[in-house]
Amino acid sequence: MGEALGTEPVVEEVRIGASPETVFAFFVDPEKLTRWLCEEVTVDPRPGGVNRQTHPGDEGNPDGPYFMRGRFVEVSPPHRVVFTWGYENPEIGVPPGSSTVEVTLEPDGQGTLLRLVHRDLPEAGRPQHAKGWEKMLARLARAARDIAEEEPTKEAS
Amino acid sequence: MQEIIEAIVEPRRREILRLVRDAELPAGEIAAYFGDVTRPAISQHLRVLKDAGLLSERRDGTRRMYRARPEGFAGLREFFGLFWGERLEVLRREAELEERRRSRGRGTRN
Repeated sequence: MGEALGTEPVVEEVRIGASPETVFAFFVDPEKLTRWLCEEVTVDPRPGGVNRQTHPGDEGNPDGPYFMRGRFVEVSPPHRVVFTWGYENPEIGVPPGSSTVEVTLEPDGQGTLLRLVHRDLPEAGRPQHAKGWEKMLARLARAARDIAEEEPTKEAS
Repeated sequence: MQEIIEAIVEPRRREILRLVRDAELPAGEIAAYFGDVTRPAISQHLRVLKDAGLLSERRDGTRRMYRARPEGFAGLREFFGLFWGERLEVLRREAELEERRRSRGRGTRN
């Protein structure tokens, strides 16, 4: 207790060439969730329903696997889903259900403009040890190369 | 995040961050480490890193001392910015694939 909450939420946007209905399913259907977000999942996609995911350890998650746990807050297909987000792994410093992810899907021609806001992350958290630091640096470098090669598809944050 | 990524894309700047991760160093010593890079080029790298919040600068008499700020890019906000950015790209690919499958299904007629 006593940690300041982050004052600025994380905001990410992406344009997707699929309808909001198609995209929405990827947030509530367990099989579809494993195609992009997690390895194992248990979801009850109703307000108050459980949202549990396993994120494997790999070069991107140096100390994984991570066990994500939260609950759905709002499930309004096909345009809005809100769920809490945190980890059972104490070393991350984001307790289960302690932060909130808000996803809105806006029709964009034939496609969807997806906006994700991750708020109430604590300022502290995630100890800075050498292995994690190096891997974060490598991940950022890969992201930089990927962005340089791709055409811009979203606004710069 | 964009500023951080642009700062990190240059390998020499990543090398500078490694150099000053655990110990503060003056600009002169950092420049001496890179024998093949001019002093003005090193100053430019230091400025980009400082502007991106990845490097702290301190005056010590006439010298400028530099130290990496891992919290500048390894904090939770930066971690989740990168995490969601990467995950949403995968989502985009998978949702677009799914959409194509669905239209093919709808398109068939007997």
